[in-house]
Amino acid sequence: MIPRRAGLIGVIVLVLFVAIPYAFAAVTGKPDEGLAGLAAWHSAAESLYCQKGLNPATLILLVETSVFGVATLAAWRAGDRMGAPGAALRGDGWHLLVVMVLITAPFLIGAQTESSVCSRGQAFFWESVLIDAFILAILSISYNLLFGFTGVVSFGHAAFFGMGAYTVGLLMKHADAPWWLAILGAIVVGVVIALIKGVVGLRIKGLYFALFTLAFAQVFFLLAGNRILVDLTGAEDGFTFKVPDWLNTTQNRLLFYFIALAALAASFTLVRRLMNSPTGRVLSALRDNESRAQMIGYNTFHFKLIAITLAGILATLAGVLRGLALKGASPGVLGLDFTITPLLMTIIGGAGTYVGPVLGAFLIHLTEEALRDTVVTVGAVSLNIGERWALVLGLIFIFIVLVFPRGIVGSVQIWWARSRRTER
Amino acid sequence: MTPATPILRSNTLRQSLIVSGVFVLALLAINFVFFQPGTVAVVLLSGLYQGMLFFLAASGMSIVFGLLDVLNLAQGAFFMVGAYAGFAIYGALPEGVPLEVKFIAALAGATLAGGLLGAAVEIGLLRPLYARPVFQIVLTFGLSTAINEIVRAIYGPAGLIPINPPAALDTTFTIFGGQFETYRLFIIAVGFALMVGISLLLQRTRLGIVIRAGVQDREMVEALGINVRRVFTLVFMLGTAVAALGGMTAAPFLGAYPGMGTDFLLTAVIVIVIGGMSSYEGTAVASVLVGLTRATAEQISLQYLNTPILASVSILIFMIVVLLVRPSGLFGRE
Repeated sequence: MIPRRAGLIGVIVLVLFVAIPYAFAAVTGKPDEGLAGLAAWHSAAESLYCQKGLNPATLILLVETSVFGVATLAAWRAGDRMGAPGAALRGDGWHLLVVMVLITAPFLIGAQTESSVCSRGQAFFWESVLIDAFILAILSISYNLLFGFTGVVSFGHAAFFGMGAYTVGLLMKHADAPWWLAILGAIVVGVVIALIKGVVGLRIKGLYFALFTLAFAQVFFLLAGNRILVDLTGAEDGFTFKVPDWLNTTQNRLLFYFIALAALAASFTLVRRLMNSPTGRVLSALRDNESRAQMIGYNTFHFKLIAITLAGILATLAGVLRGLALKGASPGVLGLDFTITPLLMTIIGGAGTYVGPVLGAFLIHLTEEALRDTVVTVGAVSLNIGERWALVLGLIFIFIVLVFPRGIVGSVQIWWARSRRTER
Repeated sequence: MTPATPILRSNTLRQSLIVSGVFVLALLAINFVFFQPGTVAVVLLSGLYQGMLFFLAASGMSIVFGLLDVLNLAQGAFFMVGAYAGFAIYGALPEGVPLEVKFIAALAGATLAGGLLGAAVEIGLLRPLYARPVFQIVLTFGLSTAINEIVRAIYGPAGLIPINPPAALDTTFTIFGGQFETYRLFIIAVGFALMVGISLLLQRTRLGIVIRAGVQDREMVEALGINVRRVFTLVFMLGTAVAALGGMTAAPFLGAYPGMGTDFLLTAVIVIVIGGMSSYEGTAVASVLVGLTRATAEQISLQYLNTPILASVSILIFMIVVLLVRPSGLFGRE
C-alpha cells in the first residue's frame, strides 16, 4: 500500500519546486521595488523566467530536479531504512520525478537552443507540442479506464472529446460565459452524453454496444459539420473564439503548459486512486468475468455507468483543453480520428496499465513531431514520414497487436517479473 | 443458452419479415403523402440502389461475423480498394480497348484484388488472433486506417472523378415524369444478383451447409472432420471480394475518394446491426430498409430544409431505435 502521506509530500514538493525559483527571481530581479506588491513580484519574476538561454530559474529547477532524483534513487536503494518518507518516495517518487522533468523541460530546451520560454522560438514551439501530448495523454487515460480497466469496448470517444471543445467554445463565443462556467458547462454536457450512452446503450450487450457508440458519436460529427447549424458552429470550417488573456496560448503559453500538465497529473492520480479503491476492484472484476461479478451480487450496470461517466468527464476535459489551446473547434475533433488515436495510444502503450496510455501518447505524439520532415528512401520508394504518419502508426499498431498484445508497459512488466524470478 | 428449435426459428423469422414489411409500407405511405408520383418512383429506385450498395458492403461483414466471430471493421477499406482497383485497371488498359471490355475487366479485377487482399489479411493478420477476439476488432480498425493511408499516399487526398460506364448504361430514362440514371438500375441488378447468388450458395451448396453449420456451432463442425480454418479463409475472401466488387460498381457513380471506406463502413455497421449481426436474411432485408429510409429522409430534408442532413441522421436514429426495441437486431437471435 502506498502511504497516505505520499500525496501530501508530493504536493508540498511540487509547490516548493515552483515557488523557490519564483521567489528567487522576484527578489533578485528588481531589488529596489522589493516586496512592493504582487504585480511587481510577478513582473520581476517574469523578467527572469523569460530570459533567453540559461537563466537562474532554469538552474534552480535543474538543481531541484537532480536533488529529488537522487533522493528517489536513494530511497529506492535504501529500502525500509528511510521510514515512511522513503516508502512514499519509493511508491510515488518516479511519477513525481517525471512531473518535475516536465516542468523543467521547456526551460531546458530554452537553455539548449538559446530561446525564451515566453516568446516565439524553439522552446515556445516545443511547449505547444507537449501541450498536445498532455491532452492526448488525458484522452488515452480516459480510454484506458473503459477499455483497459473495465473491459468496455467503446468506439465513440470522439463524442466526448469533440463536444468538450465545442461546448466550451460555443459558451464563450455565443453566451459570453466566463471561463469557469464554460468549462463547467462542457463537463455537464460530457456527463449527459455519458449518461445517455450508458443508460440507453448498456441495455445492449457486447459488440452491439461498441457499434452503438460508433454510430452515436457519428451523429455529433454529422451535426457539427452540417450547414443547418452554420450560424452556430460554422459548419465544416468550424469557428474560433476569444479566451481570457491568461489562458491565451499565444501570449501565456507557459502557464497553459503548466495547467495542462496539472490536468494530466490529476487525471492520472484520479484513475490510479479509483482503480485502487473498492469500486476499482469491481471494475477490474467486470473486465475479467462479468457474470461472476454479477453472481457475487454487484449491480454491474451501475459500475459500468460509473466507469463510462468518469471516462466521459476526463475525455471532455481533454477536449476542453484542446478547444482552449487552439481557441477554436472544427468538426475534425468529433471525427473518427479522435476515437482511433486514443485506442492506438492505449494499446501501443499498454492497455490496463497506469503508465501505458501516457507513455503511448507521449511516444507517438513526440515521434510524430520529431519525424515531421524526415524522408526515408528505400530503393525507388521514398516516404515522407510526417505526411504518412498515420500509415506508419497503423503499421506499428498492427505489429504491436500481433507481437506484444500487452503493449510496451505490459510487456516490460512481464519481462521484469520474469527476470526477477530467475534472480532468486 | 436454449437450443433454438426449428419451429421457433421460423416463427421469429416470420415475425421479423412482418415487421419489416410493415416498415416498408409505412415508408411507402410517407412517400405518397409527401411527394409527387414521379418523385416517389425516383426516391424508391434510389433507395433500392443505395440499399444494394449497402448490401454489397455489409453482406461479407455479416457472414464473416457469423462464422468467424470477427467483426471486420476494415470492410469499408476493402470497398474503397475495389473502387481504386477499378480506376487502376481503367488507367492500365491501352487507349483502343472498348469501354465495355474495360468495364468488365475492372469489375473482375476489383473482385479479384479484394479477394486476394482479404485472403492475405486473414492468413497473415487474423489467424494468430483467434484466441483474442477483442484484438481482432481493434486490429481491423487499425488496418482500415493503414489501407486508407496507403491509398491516400498513392492517389492523393482528393477524390477521383467517376469513371465512364459503357455507353449502354450511361443514359437516363423517365419514369412517371422523374429522371433516373440507367446505371443505377445496373447497380440494383448487380446487388440483387449477388443477394440471390449468395443465398443460393448458402442454401444449396456443400460449402454453404458448412458455413451455416459453422455459424450455429463451430466446434461441432470441426468435430465432424471439416477443416474450418480453410473455410474461414474462403469466407473472409468471399466477403472482401463482394465488398470490393461493390466499390467498383459504385465507382462510375461516386468516383473514388479516401473517405469512401469510412462512409460505407459506418453504413454497413448500421445495416448489420439492424439486421441482427450474423443473420444473412437480416442483412439483406436491412440493407433495403436502410436504403429506402435514407432516400426518403434525404428527399424530405432536401424539400423542406434545403440540406441532405436527415439522410445520414435518419439511419443512425433508425439503428438506435431498433437496438432499443430489439437489442439483437430485427432478425437476430438472443
